[in-house]
Amino acid sequence: MYIIVTYDVNEKRVNKVRKILKKYFTWVQNSVFEGEITFGKLEKCKRELLSVIEKEEDSVYFYEMEYKLVCNKKVLGQEKNYDSIIL
Amino acid sequence: MQKSLYLTSNGRLKRHENTLYFEIGDEKRAIDIENVEQIHIFGEVDLNTKALNYISQYGIILHFYNYYGFYTGSFLPRKKNVSGDVVVRQALHYLDREKRLFLAYCFVESAVYHMMRNLRERKEAEAFLIAIEDEWEKGRFNISNIAELMGLEGRIRNIYYQSFNQFLPDDFAMEKREKRPPTNPINALISFGNSLIYSHTLSQIYQTQLDPSISFLHEPSEKRFSLSLDISEIFKPLIVDTVIFKLLNNRQLELEHFDEDLNYCYLNQEGKKIFLKEFQNKLETTVRHRQLNRNVSYKGFIRLECYKLIKHFIGDQIYSPLRAWW
Repeated sequence: MYIIVTYDVNEKRVNKVRKILKKYFTWVQNSVFEGEITFGKLEKCKRELLSVIEKEEDSVYFYEMEYKLVCNKKVLGQEKNYDSIIL
Repeated sequence: MQKSLYLTSNGRLKRHENTLYFEIGDEKRAIDIENVEQIHIFGEVDLNTKALNYISQYGIILHFYNYYGFYTGSFLPRKKNVSGDVVVRQALHYLDREKRLFLAYCFVESAVYHMMRNLRERKEAEAFLIAIEDEWEKGRFNISNIAELMGLEGRIRNIYYQSFNQFLPDDFAMEKREKRPPTNPINALISFGNSLIYSHTLSQIYQTQLDPSISFLHEPSEKRFSLSLDISEIFKPLIVDTVIFKLLNNRQLELEHFDEDLNYCYLNQEGKKIFLKEFQNKLETTVRHRQLNRNVSYKGFIRLECYKLIKHFIGDQIYSPLRAWW
């Protein structure tokens, strides 16, 4: 499944959240990650996040899509191709 | 799907902030380590034990290739799926002459089937298809040992490679198959593709309980993981050759993507990228599996082949090699 993650977290914890997310997704913009992931991995990622964030203050959004194609992403300006597998 | 990474640039693999970074000069790229299954390294890459330790925690396999794209070796993390029972039974199948011949025959049968499948769609290669069929029907019933089987397979492969000249662009004509070193572009492509499929197969075998060094068709020499040669026999025509046909016939790869030295030929960096991209696409292409009732990728089929072998070894179900039905 294909996921877009955005987060709005208190400055104290923003780095912790960033570090967790970049293990699972590719970074596309400030506070935005996206990528292909399995159900199990996603659950693992959510667990890790829950141990870091304050539920009253912070929020992390997951936009879950079944396929990447559903997402139909359009880009204005620079597209940064961070998820290519050939480097 | 767990992804494979291909590093063709020179740079440094680094463990940083509890994930993996690939640094190309000043540019830094974070790698989502949780989703990586294997990393293929073609460029000059530095890495240290800190990175290796971290990589092995996630069971990621590193495959190294030299400057010319030939397979050098792999870094295999501690094996997690071990079963002494399966290994012992696998060895028993090697020791028994009849049982070994059966498995070896299966691999060749499937390989020949896929070679014929590749030619069947092409009108120009009809004569060669008939020649292969003849050779196969004539030879398959009087095989008494592995050497004869290898001989038959070699003869068929010869005819098969000859037929390439009929439907590939003229710049890519091939007189005969040459390895070590490949002397012309098409030989270079086949060699490059084969070394890729070997390492991909090894990655898949490594995740099952099979022992990659006990093989059946190829002699299990002490110096390499020959079971991956056995299994990739099935997938060479199915994956590598179809990728080559597509890239050459669509003019995606041209002569400019090859470098030639003395009597040596290999893909340059740009060419490698084009090939790897198409190769990866192919591996991820899925086909509906009739028994499993779900979509299986080409990579998944390699893994399924391993599971079928395990089932065969433990006496659960007799091995029948893959025959592409689509």
